[in-house]
Amino acid sequence: MDRRTQWLRGVLDLCVLGALARGESYGYEIAQRLEAGGLGVIAGGTLYPALLRLERLGLLVTDWRAGAGGPARKYYRLSDSGAATLRSAGADWAVFVGNVNAIMEVP
Amino acid sequence: MTVDDWLAALSAELRRRRIDPAGPVGEAAAHLRNSGQAPLEVFGPPAAYAVAVVDSLRGATREPRPPRSGEPLLRATGITKRYGRRTVLDDVDLSVHAGEVLAMIGANGSGKSTMLRICAGLLSPDAGHVRLGGTVGYCPQSGGTSDFLTPDEHFVLVGAGRGVGRTEAKARGRSMAAALDWAGAPRAGETRHLSGGTRQKLNLILGRLGDPDVLLLDEPYQGFDNGTYLDFWQQVLRWRDAGKAIVVVTHLLNELDRVDTVLDLTPGGAR
Amino acid sequence: MRKTLVVAEMALREISRRRGVLILLALLPLAFYYSRRGEAYWQSVRFVSLGIGWTLSTAALFAGSAARAIEPRLRIAGYATHQLYLGRLVALWTVGLALALPYYLLIRLDLDSVRYDAIALILVLTVAVAPPLGLAVAALLPRELEGMLVLLTIVAMQMMLDPDKAVAQVLPFWFTREIGTYAVESGAGTEHVSRGLVHAATALAVFLAVVALATTLRLRRRSHISIA
Repeated sequence: MDRRTQWLRGVLDLCVLGALARGESYGYEIAQRLEAGGLGVIAGGTLYPALLRLERLGLLVTDWRAGAGGPARKYYRLSDSGAATLRSAGADWAVFVGNVNAIMEVP
Repeated sequence: MTVDDWLAALSAELRRRRIDPAGPVGEAAAHLRNSGQAPLEVFGPPAAYAVAVVDSLRGATREPRPPRSGEPLLRATGITKRYGRRTVLDDVDLSVHAGEVLAMIGANGSGKSTMLRICAGLLSPDAGHVRLGGTVGYCPQSGGTSDFLTPDEHFVLVGAGRGVGRTEAKARGRSMAAALDWAGAPRAGETRHLSGGTRQKLNLILGRLGDPDVLLLDEPYQGFDNGTYLDFWQQVLRWRDAGKAIVVVTHLLNELDRVDTVLDLTPGGAR
Repeated sequence: MRKTLVVAEMALREISRRRGVLILLALLPLAFYYSRRGEAYWQSVRFVSLGIGWTLSTAALFAGSAARAIEPRLRIAGYATHQLYLGRLVALWTVGLALALPYYLLIRLDLDSVRYDAIALILVLTVAVAPPLGLAVAALLPRELEGMLVLLTIVAMQMMLDPDKAVAQVLPFWFTREIGTYAVESGAGTEHVSRGLVHAATALAVFLAVVALATTLRLRRRSHISIA
């Protein structure tokens, strides 16, 4: 497994929360947001289990909506604890990245 | 694999694991429609994806179990068994109530099969007592069948012991076979011609025939393919919901979060 | 009663599927019969009944050994121990009678100047004693090979020991020779028949007791279990 994939594994759930901070969305569109954000293609087999986990932990709230001219879609949005988690974990992450950058800097 | 085939396979795999497939299959279908990519690329093999979905959902699907009350249907106290100098079981206690599944685990040679046979009344312990609150059914790891009889004849024979009529016994045996993915039971020939796994299905059915209150199963899934193994655990949980007390000896640990109690017979292990 | 008959039915089905056993049952006594046919023909009667006794008890041995795997489960399912061995005996006696009938007819057609009713009695008694003998050996010796050797020894001794010796009466089929004397010798008295009957009845009782005791012991309800 290459390095990038390993990094992504660690932060995918936070990235999903971040993607939804911009507003509610459904599975395929979330994948597009992540890809547009530079994270590359997130396979459905990775994304949907992550969404289910976040929903189970109460960080996401979901509802099914009848699509216009199509079958029902499952929409995800951040819950209050989801938003809170994103804020605090985001702060921790920034500190973490800062330290990693500092150590990796070639003097 | 076409999209429809993949979705159908996913649906079947989820249903086998007792998950309502509507949500995950709907989402996957929509995603595939939007992306236009092949399902194996996006999600991987349906069985693997189903496992990932189930793992993610596992916390949510645990229904709260009501607390145990009343007399246990099976209670073993102080069971000790020695073979020569070797103490196989040392003062073991076990109790299972109606509507409960107990998994008995432990290393090879830790006495799991011996304990089960003592509870079934096939072996005498050196010390201890077993109280049964109902009828017992037992499925050994192997054997327990007659080579020259057909499955139907087995159903009739065991059924007659339980007071079940001929036609009824055959019907019940056949329907249990179907639930274990063995559609060929009615047409099957002599048992000696069956594969090992199929013979074990017969063994399991015979243990359960007659609807005993307590079921003692000694790793009955020998030779089961993965699908049947899952069907087997489905059946165990269904029997539990119907109020049976079930003990399953196993050394496969994947299913432990689905059972109500775990008894570890490894010497020095937690009791 | 019904449970015993179900056991008997299944035991019959089992035997009927063992082609090798059936062929041996049918033909081995024939070989025994013709081995003595040329000389003193009365030996034929004795040998054919020994042949039937041997193959039938061997069939019983195999039936009893095979049943061991399933008997504990049948006990748990609610059968009483006596239903299990009685059912098996009924099946074996049925097979034995079906086997003996053609041989009786053969003797009827083939031999003159013998007492046919006595011969019928010999065959019936042999069929009666052989299955309990076979099941008794199976109950005492868990492995078929040892059991077969025991039965082989019995039959060999039966043929080789002088029947007039007292020790020969220990052998299970001694009565075939005794009643056979009445059947073939015109001058013989009926005391042979009564002696033979007593011997057969004793053998039958002894073997039935061994089967009953050994099986009941092996499949007994254990004392550490109590049912609420």
